[in-house]
Amino acid sequence: MLCSKALSKLTAVRAYASASGVAPTVLSTANGIKVAAIEGQPDSPLASISLVINHGSRFETALTSGAAHYLKAFGFRNTQERTSFRTVREAELNGATLTASATRENITYTVQCFRDALPYFVDILGDIAAATKFSEHEFRDIAKLVKFESLGARENPVARVLDGVHQAAFRGGLGNSLYALDSSPVQTGDAVREYAASAMQSGRLAVVATGVDAPTLAALVAESKLAGLTSGTAAAADAKAKFTGGGHQIYESAAPVSYYALAFGSEPSSAPVLASLLGAQRRLKWGAGASPLAKLAFAEGFSAESFSFSYSDAALVGVLVSAPSAQIQAAVEKVAEVVKSSVAKAEPEAVARAVAAARLDVAEAQATQQGVIRELSMLALGQGPAASLESVDGAALSQVAAKVFSAKPVAASIGLSQTTAYVDTLGF
Amino acid sequence: MLEGVARAFQANSAFRALCRPLSNTWVNLSGYRRLGLRYDDLLREETPIIQEAISRLNREEIDLRNYRHRRAFQLSLSHQELAGPQWTKPEDDIKYLQPLIEEVSQEHAERDAFNSMTSVRK
Repeated sequence: MLCSKALSKLTAVRAYASASGVAPTVLSTANGIKVAAIEGQPDSPLASISLVINHGSRFETALTSGAAHYLKAFGFRNTQERTSFRTVREAELNGATLTASATRENITYTVQCFRDALPYFVDILGDIAAATKFSEHEFRDIAKLVKFESLGARENPVARVLDGVHQAAFRGGLGNSLYALDSSPVQTGDAVREYAASAMQSGRLAVVATGVDAPTLAALVAESKLAGLTSGTAAAADAKAKFTGGGHQIYESAAPVSYYALAFGSEPSSAPVLASLLGAQRRLKWGAGASPLAKLAFAEGFSAESFSFSYSDAALVGVLVSAPSAQIQAAVEKVAEVVKSSVAKAEPEAVARAVAAARLDVAEAQATQQGVIRELSMLALGQGPAASLESVDGAALSQVAAKVFSAKPVAASIGLSQTTAYVDTLGF
Repeated sequence: MLEGVARAFQANSAFRALCRPLSNTWVNLSGYRRLGLRYDDLLREETPIIQEAISRLNREEIDLRNYRHRRAFQLSLSHQELAGPQWTKPEDDIKYLQPLIEEVSQEHAERDAFNSMTSVRK
């Protein structure tokens, strides 16, 4: 009962948001910081608050390559007001969880806490934005953590191949890696401070929260150090992403399993449902289902998973093929054939199936606190409303699919890449 | 108790004015500047706090500090002093380590306070 009440409240806000394009709960402070909040279930003691900085890796230049990763790692560290030790101990006393995460567009510092602790954590987030010290001895500690995360990503072929497909598709900007390489020019705390100075401009920031209403949150933000930040260039003035096309091969001939990502450029709003139309993953463990790609992978004994990445002005949708290295060449060619012959010319029933599956996936993602935070930050920063799947027109979607899946794709491969097809020989 | 008295004296501006001429003489007599050292080079470094403070110096400062130490040891062993122009000048005798020591002591005090905290149920 309580649950359904909360859900209806959330969906009501969301439906309005996607219908009008702007959520009614997005406010702006005097210096231009966007504030968005969803009150949620009134009798729940839970709350969360995030500082979202629209200055992820896509905004790095050659001289700041890797800085976004370091900036993420500098979340909740020593500030002029508090040591990171104090921040962590007080968060523990409040039972709160502190997390820092990064996407190619946004760096997000999130606190999950009880409602009554929110004012305290707004203060902390203000400190992070305005008064982090970026001292050298801390940088040396943080560099170890960053190196560890980068190594972890390097050891993960899926992460590498998805990084590679971004690089092939967008080159600079969205093509920048999420991880700082050893060769990163950012080697001092001062370099991170400089990058942070260009990031912590009020036009690039949003504060999003759950468990509080937007006016209360805006008042708290206005009292914090966030109110003292000046506005810089708005994110809208940044360079638009451009889908270029090409391939990215990483040769690891001895690898037992090879990976190949084939991706198409699409509109951000249609990417999730197009990924669902590719439908490469099986939704049942022991059956192939009706999707042609899933049937192919099931019959041939390799794995194919569809993926989509939506950004404010571009999106990638595609399929990640992984197979024993001896089979990868044939697998990729067969997958490309099925995309051309079946997915690009999808039947109305296939489209209906895809829409239903995508709606379930989106609803499931939105039911979590992380999902709500992600959606609020997208709304607040004007990175497009979340996919509205309530009123998808099947015929229009078929046309979009025909267009997207017959355009020139990009590809990235890792493993026995000597055998896999170059993307321009796949016949798209 | 004694620390409080000392702090009161240090804060007293009349006392400071009285001591200032004496202090330079005192420093010159103590002789460390004649070996090219700075006052912060003489602090006893075998404590966790000062070890941590030293580890926070940047590379260049550590190199210079080590150089000053080695030069001073060598001079001391050979019963020599630097030539007058090479003595540490008063304006060069800066407290490069003291701020870090204070920062680290505060952090230690904060850690102790949190570790010995008792929670009060409201």
